[in-house]
Amino acid sequence: MSLHSTNRARPRKPWQWIDIRGRRTGMWAFALNRLTGIGLVVYLYLHFVMLSQLFMGRAAWDGFVELAHSPLVLAFDVVLFAGLIIHGLNGFRVALNGFGIGVRQQKTFFYGLMAVGALLLAISTYLIFTL
Amino acid sequence: MQTTATVNTPAQPRSAIGTLGWIWQVVTGAALIPLAGLHMIAQHFMVEGGLRGFDQVQSYLSNPIVWPIELLFLISVVSHALLGVRAILIDLGPAPRLARLIDPILWVVGIASVAYGAWLTYAIVSAA
Repeated sequence: MSLHSTNRARPRKPWQWIDIRGRRTGMWAFALNRLTGIGLVVYLYLHFVMLSQLFMGRAAWDGFVELAHSPLVLAFDVVLFAGLIIHGLNGFRVALNGFGIGVRQQKTFFYGLMAVGALLLAISTYLIFTL
Repeated sequence: MQTTATVNTPAQPRSAIGTLGWIWQVVTGAALIPLAGLHMIAQHFMVEGGLRGFDQVQSYLSNPIVWPIELLFLISVVSHALLGVRAILIDLGPAPRLARLIDPILWVVGIASVAYGAWLTYAIVSAA
């Protein structure tokens, strides 16, 4: 009996990452890490583009700051924080597992960390909409 | 009882660069927790409105303690991100000719990204 995840091999095609049929916790964790990772890489380069407004001077940056206060952008910030929190906490677990730590408890570890993540996301969402 | 631990083990192949890359990804991942946390708190949560104005950004980045930390953050986040991209690309099983291009392209993208971020920081600070 496998303690976690699936008997199927690591999916090679990207669309198989989100095919959760017959998959267990390990595959969910794998898919979440990949999808949040891709999202965060896209955000990183989007962030570079946004920061280029600083080089264009005070008026350009302050205009961008105004736009960043719109509810749509704030909602996007919540999605960003969700990605950061999930990827960070799950990555922490993957790194420990890579060193052979907590491999047998990784399912419990995953759920525990995701519960911590949900709490952190609730606090972050409150701060994003109230600051 | 089978106790496999395959799915969430590192994705990179255990080639020389794969092993070093995995170690570097773990190191930068660990570094990113305090660095990204500090960045978020200092740049967003401690600022009224969640974003610094132009003068506040200049003032913050001019701090001799802050810019080396931001540079370390930049190097960590870019290398961590591109190693993740590398792992995904290799997992997709590209043809050998295409696979050989992955590392050089990612090195160029990484160096260009860090250079751009460092130059942007320098330009903002020097304009103060």
